Amino acid sequence: MNTDYGWAGKILRVDLTERRYWTEPTAKYAERFIGGIGIGYKVFWDEVGAEVGAFDAENRLVFAPGPLTGTLAPASGRMELVSKSPRSYPKETVTRSGMGGFWGPELKYAGYDALIVQGKSESWVNLYIHNDGVEFREAKDYVGQDTYTTQINVRKELDPKARIVCIGPAGERLSRLAVILSETSFASGRSGFGAVMGSKKLKAVAVRGTKPLKIYDPKRLIEVSRRVRALSAGNPMREWTSRALTPSDQDSFLNKYRRKNVGCFGCPMQCFAHLNVPGAGQSAAHCTNYFYYHPATQFYGHTAERDQAVMDGLVQSNRLGLDTYEFSRMLDFLKDLYQAGLWESHPPLLMEKLGSREFINRLIESVAYRQGIGDLLAEGVARTADQIKDGWEFCAKYFPAYGSASHGVMRTHPGVALLWALDSRDPIIDQHAYLKLAVSHPGDPPPYGLPLDRAKLISRKLFGSEMAIDHSNFTHKAEMTVYAQNKAAVINLLVVCDWIYPIFSSHGTEDRLGDTSLESRLLTAVSGYDLTEKELDRIGERVWNLARALMVREGRTREQDTFHESYFREHGGEKAIPLTDFEEAKTRYYQLRGWDEKTGWPTRQKLQELGLL
Amino acid sequence: MMKHEYTKVHFRRRRALVGEGKACSGCQTCAVVCSLVHEGEVDLMRARLTIKSNSFAGSFIPQVCHQCADAPCYYACPEGAMEIEAVNGTVLILEEKCTGCGACARACPFRAIRLDEEKKKAWKCDFCGGDPQCFAWCPANALGVVEFGGEIPK
Repeated sequence: MNTDYGWAGKILRVDLTERRYWTEPTAKYAERFIGGIGIGYKVFWDEVGAEVGAFDAENRLVFAPGPLTGTLAPASGRMELVSKSPRSYPKETVTRSGMGGFWGPELKYAGYDALIVQGKSESWVNLYIHNDGVEFREAKDYVGQDTYTTQINVRKELDPKARIVCIGPAGERLSRLAVILSETSFASGRSGFGAVMGSKKLKAVAVRGTKPLKIYDPKRLIEVSRRVRALSAGNPMREWTSRALTPSDQDSFLNKYRRKNVGCFGCPMQCFAHLNVPGAGQSAAHCTNYFYYHPATQFYGHTAERDQAVMDGLVQSNRLGLDTYEFSRMLDFLKDLYQAGLWESHPPLLMEKLGSREFINRLIESVAYRQGIGDLLAEGVARTADQIKDGWEFCAKYFPAYGSASHGVMRTHPGVALLWALDSRDPIIDQHAYLKLAVSHPGDPPPYGLPLDRAKLISRKLFGSEMAIDHSNFTHKAEMTVYAQNKAAVINLLVVCDWIYPIFSSHGTEDRLGDTSLESRLLTAVSGYDLTEKELDRIGERVWNLARALMVREGRTREQDTFHESYFREHGGEKAIPLTDFEEAKTRYYQLRGWDEKTGWPTRQKLQELGLL
Repeated sequence: MMKHEYTKVHFRRRRALVGEGKACSGCQTCAVVCSLVHEGEVDLMRARLTIKSNSFAGSFIPQVCHQCADAPCYYACPEGAMEIEAVNGTVLILEEKCTGCGACARACPFRAIRLDEEKKKAWKCDFCGGDPQCFAWCPANALGVVEFGGEIPK
């Protein structure tokens, strides 16, 4: 397999126990697993057993960009991280967590397709990768510094142009909410990988790459990229984040404090807003992460202090290295408990002050530094609920399965429910293309809404039936799930952002039709690896089966492909998921996958067919 | 220097890039496409423009060649290896004559000229022959093309 084009050609391995590093050829993985989660999952399948916990030295932390990362391909700034997740519940299992920004491309320019960190350092250490040079640098002085300060100081020490991923005090204290953060706001957040870095005593990884990246067919790459840009013009995802999910209040906040739109490497979307709130600091932000504290702060009215409180929620979480998404659901959970009289005010958290600036700062600090009740909350909401009497009665609403905070509308949208039940983490993070197609209602104001006849046509073309986007029942949802999961695997191999790819539908053209073959065409232009869309989807299927095999090895069975039981009854005025229909759709899903429908395990025959055995 | 040459350089018709720091998001698309068009590979070190980034302040400033009216690089070159192209007024480096002495790079107030130490050649923005690709690809509208309508005296 030729990895001269698109791929950098080497994978860097670092053993922190022995403080040594070596490289391996990417060719080992490239043909069958491409890159990204493909490399990540394969490393775990080959090297890390089911018994290994997230904080064990045997656990690996894989940072994996893909062949498209750092090229002209639009939205190619991302990388995927794979590790045993401290956040997974009830068991720490292998899962993925993506991250945007500039670090992935920089790693490619330094000459590596992936960085695999293993072992555990005795003392705090920083890693400095500059092209062929790799240095272990003492990080004693950095301990306790927040993520912004760490990055500024590491740049001062090593290279002002270095790109850095690091953890904050939360990661140092193995908080399961800890993120790995780069720049102001690019984070691998939802799987708690910051704590994995913390357990390895790795404070920061600085990369500076100055090597060229060879492109197989530059002309063709320009041509295909231009096509992607045309089809993704007017993509509503940018509006979703950098404007508002619900207008009014959020709009006025953004209009007041947004300095500009920013974003990841090589992306036409630039979906982050750079916010600067006087008195509370500045940071890039998008989607829920700048706004999770806003609903609680209503009593302030329209005052500057309210805006500062909202901004503190963002900036302080970023600085101390905590996941804002988990906080958004944690606040709801704590509020419900408090209103039911079950949550006394634990020091230093005073629930009667919920909504104030003081409260959010105390909450973030107590969780990051594990003070008082923050020590428990730092274990994540799912594990907190275990420690509280009737905790799950309140928690389930916001944490439907495997300790992942709710995201998407599984009760009302059967397609979303199936995607959720069959993954190892919140899957919506890879499925925005499906959401754009199915969840954006035809009645929504432009540019969100897709005309119903167009949505149906696209659904028929892609999933084989227009029922796939009908939310009233489970008909044809299994077919949709298989297709969408394989496509999600593909974009996480390459690695490109799911906010653009796969292009199911377009807002930039008259006929609104997308083009799902663009990923394979980009890969061919960049690397010369000549694959049709079908062949690439097949690789996606292979990786999804590998991911499932890993889940199964860690004890996953059909019984666990489900939600908390409260989702199957009406709960707080919310619709129940019909259990029989749900189970039937699952059976259909396993059949389509070629898995055993009793256990939900991939069959030997299927794995052989995919070349995994 | 002859008066004729002075007017030819200073009052020429020219088109040039401008960078707008208020809009730039620092995404590097311009640098990627620049190196791809000129070098056939992605190499941000060889891009003809750079972005000065400070994400903590949200500050991203494109550093482009302005094809200056007074063209200090042109006058600094001791080898006569620079020429001013007539249609767009672009200042170009003639690779065959360039010795890589670096005088042009030192004269540039925008640090828009870089040196290849090994090959002993300097390189700079050639305005893509009139259709700058960085400008065409910038997703943030942070690059612009301005025109000055001077005439080339006979």
